[in-house]
Amino acid sequence: MMSSGSLLTLRGVSHFFGSRLIFKGVSCELAPGSIMLVAGSNGAGKTTLLKIMAGLTPPRAGTVERTVKDRAMAFMGHQTFVYPALTALGNLEFWNSVYGRGLGDAALLGLLDRVGLKGFALESAGTFSRGMAQRLSLARVLLVEPALVFLDEPSTGLDTTSQALLHAELEAARTRGAGIVWISHDLDRDLGRADTVLSLGGRGMSYFGPAHGFAPEGP
Amino acid sequence: MIASSLAIARKDLRLAFAGGQGPVQAVLLGLLLVFIFSLSAAPGEHFSAQQAMAIFWLCSSFGVVLIFSLLFRFEEENDTATALLLSPLPVQGLWLGKTLAGLILLLLCQVFFFPAALVFLGLDPGDNLSGLVLMVLAVDVGLCVLGGLIGAMGQGQGAKDALLTIIVFPLQVPLLLGGIRIGVGLMQGTAMAGVSDWFGLVLAFDAVFAGAALFLFPHVFRGE
Repeated sequence: MMSSGSLLTLRGVSHFFGSRLIFKGVSCELAPGSIMLVAGSNGAGKTTLLKIMAGLTPPRAGTVERTVKDRAMAFMGHQTFVYPALTALGNLEFWNSVYGRGLGDAALLGLLDRVGLKGFALESAGTFSRGMAQRLSLARVLLVEPALVFLDEPSTGLDTTSQALLHAELEAARTRGAGIVWISHDLDRDLGRADTVLSLGGRGMSYFGPAHGFAPEGP
Repeated sequence: MIASSLAIARKDLRLAFAGGQGPVQAVLLGLLLVFIFSLSAAPGEHFSAQQAMAIFWLCSSFGVVLIFSLLFRFEEENDTATALLLSPLPVQGLWLGKTLAGLILLLLCQVFFFPAALVFLGLDPGDNLSGLVLMVLAVDVGLCVLGGLIGAMGQGQGAKDALLTIIVFPLQVPLLLGGIRIGVGLMQGTAMAGVSDWFGLVLAFDAVFAGAALFLFPHVFRGE
């Protein structure tokens, strides 16, 4: 049974690559207006779990339930999902059409302004640095106004200003009632922002509970 | 879904022409084929209508492979394929958008192939130009419906073009055969009724390939 109001519920989710077990028995819930930090060492299956949560990969066993429609979900990861040959504004225009948001150019420019790219609106995204492309990716997420956000180490390659911007926008999304699943390698930095932690280890779930009760393993 | 598909097609056409490149590779390959085949005839000698149509469709067939390879390459850079799968766009809408963009690019290539065939192969289009245009559209739809499906199959694979070639060409045969026979018939003055059987065959393959693509594309694009 899914708890009432839960945006995302996993029950006994297991996954394999071929015959190799990645993790088994993962169960968790994500409440509206909360951040779930997903932790674990390299190869523990964090990205795979995120893809299963987002519906990109079907789990081998277990169930995934989402109460959020596709048009209210957003994903931000290592890849920026940016078309380099389009301008920054052209990229947003495209996703605006695909998501059927119906925003005008002024609103799209407003989104670019929020991520500090208004001055680059008509420049080809292919000329952007990694940080700028990731900011454009953040603008795409903001365009969707998501109720459920999946983040796969979104801070990778971002300078401190961009990281502060990302964290501020995530905080705003949480305040709006969005649920956020966040893979992070920098637990020292990000643990304080999380409400719950799901830790993968030993081919299974080693912890799921409140962030304040989570003790990261030492090196 | 239609609006989103049109957005995909619009985006793909913008990307295809970004940097002034467009389907240049497909056009150049087609023109090269026409020119090389023209050298196989002795001076003053003309190709038969059947030979000329066969060369025209050969150029179009190669063009389809290059065009759909280009269109699906757009979704590999920065993994936008994943973003599209996460979007509310039905996956079939993505196929429809890619097919539409491919059809427009193929027609654009044929705008160059046709006059080249007139000049270098001595192709005589006859009087029934509207019939020829209908035939080209009917065959192109089938080629692009198939290209949209098979193009997704090669996504992310190093041997994409080889895979496209191996699978696409045999499946294209009925359409190409129909295109050649209808084209020859119309150029030689046969009324539309006289080539209706071949038209029926082409339209039937269009429908079968479209049905198969609608069913298979989601699985193929997700890599299941």
